[in-house]
Amino acid sequence: MKRVLVALSMGASVLLAACGGSSVSTNPSTGAPVTSAPTPPAAQLIGTGATFPAPFYDAARFAYNQKFSQVTINYNALGSGAGISQLTKKVVDFGASDVPMSATELTAAGGSDNVVQIASTLGTESLAYNLSGVSNGQLKLTPKTIAGIFLGTIKNWNDPALSADNGGVSLPNQPISVVHRSDGSGTTYIFTDYLSTVSADWKTKVGKGKSVSWPVGQGAKGNEAVATTIKQTPGAIGYVELAYVIQTNMTQASLQNHDGTFVIPSAGGATAAASQFLAINPTQFSIVDAPGKNSAPISGYSWLMLYKDQAEKTKGAALVDFLDWLVTDGQQYAVNLHYAKLPANLVKDDIISLKTVTSGGSTLLNVPAPS
Amino acid sequence: MVPTPLVAASRQRRLVSGDRVFRVIAYGAAGLVMLIAVIFIVALVVPALPAITKFGLGFFVTRTWDPVRGEFGALTPIYGTLVTSAIALLIAFPIGLGAALFLAEDARLSLLRSPLSFLIELLAGIPSVVIGLWAFFILVPLMRDKVDPFLNHTLGFLPLFRGTPSGYGFLTAGLVLAIMVLPIMIALSRDVIRAVPRELREASLALGATNAETIWSVILPYARVGITGAILLSLGRALGETIAVTMVIGNSVQISASLFASGYTLPSVIANEFTEANGNVYLGSLFYLGVVLVLITIVVNVLARLLIWRFSGSSRAAV
Repeated sequence: MKRVLVALSMGASVLLAACGGSSVSTNPSTGAPVTSAPTPPAAQLIGTGATFPAPFYDAARFAYNQKFSQVTINYNALGSGAGISQLTKKVVDFGASDVPMSATELTAAGGSDNVVQIASTLGTESLAYNLSGVSNGQLKLTPKTIAGIFLGTIKNWNDPALSADNGGVSLPNQPISVVHRSDGSGTTYIFTDYLSTVSADWKTKVGKGKSVSWPVGQGAKGNEAVATTIKQTPGAIGYVELAYVIQTNMTQASLQNHDGTFVIPSAGGATAAASQFLAINPTQFSIVDAPGKNSAPISGYSWLMLYKDQAEKTKGAALVDFLDWLVTDGQQYAVNLHYAKLPANLVKDDIISLKTVTSGGSTLLNVPAPS
Repeated sequence: MVPTPLVAASRQRRLVSGDRVFRVIAYGAAGLVMLIAVIFIVALVVPALPAITKFGLGFFVTRTWDPVRGEFGALTPIYGTLVTSAIALLIAFPIGLGAALFLAEDARLSLLRSPLSFLIELLAGIPSVVIGLWAFFILVPLMRDKVDPFLNHTLGFLPLFRGTPSGYGFLTAGLVLAIMVLPIMIALSRDVIRAVPRELREASLALGATNAETIWSVILPYARVGITGAILLSLGRALGETIAVTMVIGNSVQISASLFASGYTLPSVIANEFTEANGNVYLGSLFYLGVVLVLITIVVNVLARLLIWRFSGSSRAAV
């Protein structure tokens, strides 16, 4: 499903490149040809990491290559763990992870001063379900009932706790089948981070992580398999990345957010949630259960990592140029794929971080510092 | 034309040097295979060391698999692996032996023999991911809506068939494995049954035994060891099967008496979690699971080969 969208956005990017071709060659204020336009040097970049943002990175690297054909970028979606370990071993130019590198991982990579980590995109998760007669958004779930279902204390759809929030909806007498990810994933991290935030029970019994010891339910490998398992199991519920829910027309629950409003998760809801947290950095990155009327409660960032000191100057210059583009103009490709745009404060932080990347002592990204 | 003696001699020399080259290539290839095996074992055990030193042999009897707290044990996936393989053999053994007897013994339907053999080979050649896809989309709903409720209704007094069927779990995984090991079971059993000396068969029939009696009291006892070997080789296949099982086992870390429950197998845990496993102990535990799996399959395969070799006196049955 996602591939189709990637292909579509690739097509769109070709069109964009074709249409915008004439406007980039002149300086809008003077009309004179731009001679010092920051054109990246020729380079081949390799990145490895998370699968969650991979469709976005694929669309973006393709669009960037259309723009600057001298730069080719390869991205291997092998998982966040592989992204971090391959960056640490310096076999890739950048790594990607849904969770920023931990203190131990940073030490292994030569210390936190040696690595730059930037937020690259923002996503949100839905709780998709399969209940005949209960249409999209009709099922209302509160933090308490979500935790109850995934802890296994709420076992049947006719549980009084569920009916209390769902007046007017007839919930069947049917056992709840919980579906979760079986593979380690950033999607699971964000969801269990949410559960740990809203439920003390979950925090002590299970905790948060890319893989956890689930009290109930069955695991399926990847967002696609979770979505398909829910679709073909009556009474099933599971957490799925928003894009898959939209693409496969699944029914998803309205989730009660921190302010008590019920929202249907959307990219807009993710942006609303992100805008509530201004001081996001690689150690303070959780935006789950955000306050605000429109906030989608199960949202999170995805991250990119690179070394602060780039051994090869040309490669480093191309890399920071690409990443600078990715967090600014490149964000349009995220929106096409149902990720949310990075909020302005994060874009600013990202550019400031990218400006600290050097090679042989000189700064590689020569764009004005954001105000 | 008859070659002159001189030409013949040079040809002889060429052949000899050709032999030498061939010998070097063959020795080199054999050495390379051995080297790969050694490198493989080392490369499996070394990354497992952090987990081996931390958990020791207690790893085998620990039920927990908790990446959040960094506590790992292999008992749950070992249980799942053994249970699904046992189900597979329980289903595949009678069917496989019956089909093998038919193929080896029944001459009346010899017309059916070659198409059946062909179909069995075809089944053996289906990639496991395709079987997994079929199982995920066809078998799982069938189990959930028909087979599991029927078993629950008729045999529900046994703890094995209690609980809510979801379609995923030990029973479905075992059934998928049964389908995958059937071709091995049939082909090997057929070969060992065919290897029973003709005289024994004829003697039994001459003494007035019926076909069924001959099979039961002469052929099967004689082929017993070989058939056991076939079972063990099928077991080896079932133990290591990954993708098709992962698609239908339900992938949850639990040990449950009910065959309708979700579980986990050794290969499934590895396949699911290696991409995001961070930290030496977590990754080491996955490698440790790999070591456990390799140990189990090596033991099973060695036993199987010994039995078959003892039976047939050759390595003909190697598959």
